[in-house]
Amino acid sequence: MTLRRLLLSLLVATRAAGAQHLLLPMDEAQANHLKAYGVIFGALVDNVRSEWLINYRGGAFLVPDLPSVRRAAALAGVTTEPVDGGTLATMRREIAEGNMDAVPLERAPRIAVYTPPDSPPWDDAVTLALSYAGIKYAKIWDDTVLATDLAQFDWIHLFHEDFTGQQNKLHLGFRDAPWFVQARERDLAMARGRGLADIPTLKKAVAEKLRAFVERGGFLFAMCGATETLELALAAAGIDIAGPYADGSPLDPAADTKLAWDRSFAFQGAHLEFAPGINAMSDIDGHQVNVPARRQPLGTFSLFGFSAKFDPVPTMLVQNHRAVMPDFYGVTTSFTRRTLKPGATVLAQEEGAPWVKYLHGSYGRGSWTYLGGHDPEDPQHNIGAPPTDLALHPNSPGYRLILNNVLFPAAKKKTLKT
Amino acid sequence: MKRAALGLVVAGALSAQTVEPAGAGALSRGLDAENGNRAREAVTAYREAIAAGAVVQGVLGLERVFSLTMQEDSVLAVLDTLLPRFPDDGALRGVQLRALVSLGRSRAADAAFHAWRDARPDDLVPYRDYARILLFNNRAAAADTVLRDAATALGSLQGLTLELAQMRAGLGRWEEAALAWRAVVQEEAYYESAAVFSLTPTPVAARALVRAALLAGSGAASSATSAAPPTIGVRQVRAFLEVAWGSPRDGWTALSAVPVSDTAVAVWRQFGEEVERAQAWGVARDAWSAVHRARPDAVVAWRGAQAALRAGDAATALALVRGAGAGDSTARVDVAVPLELEALARLGRGAEVTARLAAESAALGPDRVRSMQRVVAWAWIRAGDVPRARAALAGATLDAEDEVAGWLALYEGELAAARQALRHVTTPDQDVVRALALLNRTTAPRAPAVGAAFLALGRADTTDAVRRFESAAADLPDAAPVLLAMAARLETGRGADGRARRLWQRVATEHAAAPEAAEAQLEWARGLRRAGDGDGAREHLEHLILTYPGSALVPQARRELDALRPQVAS
Repeated sequence: MTLRRLLLSLLVATRAAGAQHLLLPMDEAQANHLKAYGVIFGALVDNVRSEWLINYRGGAFLVPDLPSVRRAAALAGVTTEPVDGGTLATMRREIAEGNMDAVPLERAPRIAVYTPPDSPPWDDAVTLALSYAGIKYAKIWDDTVLATDLAQFDWIHLFHEDFTGQQNKLHLGFRDAPWFVQARERDLAMARGRGLADIPTLKKAVAEKLRAFVERGGFLFAMCGATETLELALAAAGIDIAGPYADGSPLDPAADTKLAWDRSFAFQGAHLEFAPGINAMSDIDGHQVNVPARRQPLGTFSLFGFSAKFDPVPTMLVQNHRAVMPDFYGVTTSFTRRTLKPGATVLAQEEGAPWVKYLHGSYGRGSWTYLGGHDPEDPQHNIGAPPTDLALHPNSPGYRLILNNVLFPAAKKKTLKT
Repeated sequence: MKRAALGLVVAGALSAQTVEPAGAGALSRGLDAENGNRAREAVTAYREAIAAGAVVQGVLGLERVFSLTMQEDSVLAVLDTLLPRFPDDGALRGVQLRALVSLGRSRAADAAFHAWRDARPDDLVPYRDYARILLFNNRAAAADTVLRDAATALGSLQGLTLELAQMRAGLGRWEEAALAWRAVVQEEAYYESAAVFSLTPTPVAARALVRAALLAGSGAASSATSAAPPTIGVRQVRAFLEVAWGSPRDGWTALSAVPVSDTAVAVWRQFGEEVERAQAWGVARDAWSAVHRARPDAVVAWRGAQAALRAGDAATALALVRGAGAGDSTARVDVAVPLELEALARLGRGAEVTARLAAESAALGPDRVRSMQRVVAWAWIRAGDVPRARAALAGATLDAEDEVAGWLALYEGELAAARQALRHVTTPDQDVVRALALLNRTTAPRAPAVGAAFLALGRADTTDAVRRFESAAADLPDAAPVLLAMAARLETGRGADGRARRLWQRVATEHAAAPEAAEAQLEWARGLRRAGDGDGAREHLEHLILTYPGSALVPQARRELDALRPQVAS
């Protein structure tokens, strides 16, 4: 080795030893938790690989100290801490010795949100979170789902759609409201345009496409009423579970016994709500917010702790700076324990209550995650209420749960053990 | 509210029914015990009253007491024995329904309602009372079902329009609610405040529909009756809604077209008071002017003049006060003369102020005349004649720390003297703060160019003020960014985007380290955004955030940056 080569290799080694990283802490030191996800997502879009330090400082992120990352963080108001080689070695030792792990994040997931073309962004918590964090997404609706290959997306979020085709039974209170009539006519035209008899048939076809998406390796995230109704639609293939106002025919009186739960992701043995005047779909939802006589009050729910090294996926999904948070209503607020399949992993629950809040599981080569409720920062979420301004909730622990799901498909495949 | 409503029912029932002496005594004891918070004693007394024949009053008493002691279900046991004896009694049926609904026993409440309805199949009272109870308990969807049943059974909803309106508003069906309220108020104008209360929460997106429904009676759910021209009550609802929604000018537009009548003038007066509470002074001026034109009254004209002055409209204020008539002589001296002088001063008519003050000096008295010298001085200042302003104050004793002295010093370019006076102002207004922002940034004792710029501003000559502030920046380098920013703010305020952007650009580029630089970047970005240059706007917002991270404007810049970012992937 010549002297010149030796000097060059020494120089390279010195630069490597002194290489800087940026830590995006996700504990109480972080000024804007939600936009931190956007900074990491933006880095992945620019092919900058990073690491998710699960269970370390609230689920911190580690990225190379590049001007572009610093700039993005500064613009977003995201707290960063420079990490030198020595500090990094200490951090890695601490992570190796504790219930923590470093999950490589390799590429930006391709995201789609299932949402009607004319829906305002504030009507859906996921759209709100993505917009605020600066994460780009594609909008898909029934025509895209039915006509295109969903494999072009890594991650699909379901808007709070009713996949039983009964429009969340809102006809009980809003049958003449212009927006309700407009949505019904839009869906009916979509069904007829595809040669389908009615809205329930259309929505079941969409549900089936989504099931196939997961089976083939996709990640599905659903909130609110989309969770419960997707399950019912999948289990009810060929069975009439929609009221006469939706399809002109009464429910199959034996529908309860005919439901094929082996086709659904999360639930089994649930009972349908047959009464047309009661605004509930089944007994999957524990809170039944739209049935005054059954409505349960909101409590608080706690996130489970998992083994970071053995269960990295659930660990990623519960990364947070708060372990306990206030509950929030939705068309489906929670999931009764009695109806859970044994394979479903409970990520969050209300202590002592017969329901859980947050679920995850695998299906085929893909996975699904369900979060009950509509908007973590608007516990009541009445129709017509003003939109949530996330700039006022930059540290929202509830919205973090949603964004954990967005980044989770970016994780290196080999770490996805569950 | 509920207790008050129950109280009214009791009072009505007592006056309408002849009570046996024994019953009356028991009721009296019951009320005393209730007022003394002796619930058990009250229950015993009311039971005695019922036994003595004062059935309705006794049951209503029990309902109140049981409600306070959280034992609502106890009244149901009493009704179980009474209702078979008095099946047609609406008051007893109402108590039963209220108790069942408040206990959350929906099915039992429905059954009770059905029993009542079946007992009186052609009567709308069961439907009306049950719908009201459901609405009171925020169960608008259930009330909807009851009202639909009523329409089917009775053939129409005549007599139930009020409940229909409340139900629709409760369900957020704003356009239909507005149509129903229109029908209610057309018939019975005294429901105007109820309609306003009910429709005020209408979301922004639905307000246009509500406006159209109220005034034109148009909409998907309109009917022949709703298409009749709106009565003044309906216009009043629309006008007061506009005030509540932050657009009082639209409210006055809806109301001002009404032909003059005693009712119209009374409504205009109410509206004037409402917009004064909302501090919409320009609208208040117009309302009071209309009242005065219709029914001339000096006090009303003075009130209009006051509103006009607060709205910055001195000319109308002067016209109103001069056209008001004599009025009470004391009030004229106390109210009208100061208003007239103030209006003249704002208009910069120094000679007239001087003459009017001299003419009224006997009525005003020496103390008031002295205090009014300030008004004379302001009149000359606005006329741009500082020496006469000083002369007007010759008789007044001004110390070095007096605000007027400070302004005069500033207009003459005597910055040191102005600084000394203005910094002691106890409650500085926007003008004083703006002057101090400059005076605290320069050590120069004198700057006539700056004085001339402030004087132009004092005369409300914005164009001249902008020119002078910009040129003064060259004379006073240590305060140049403040002076340029003042000029830029004036241009921004009057919508001269291009000229404002040039000035903000100068602040941002020539004085990048100045406190005004962050504001300059923000305003520069806004100007570019308004001109359709999103990329340019983004660049300046990013520059602000990255270069001035400690600025209080950074959160706002982040918001505006977010708004510029495209969200949906192609």
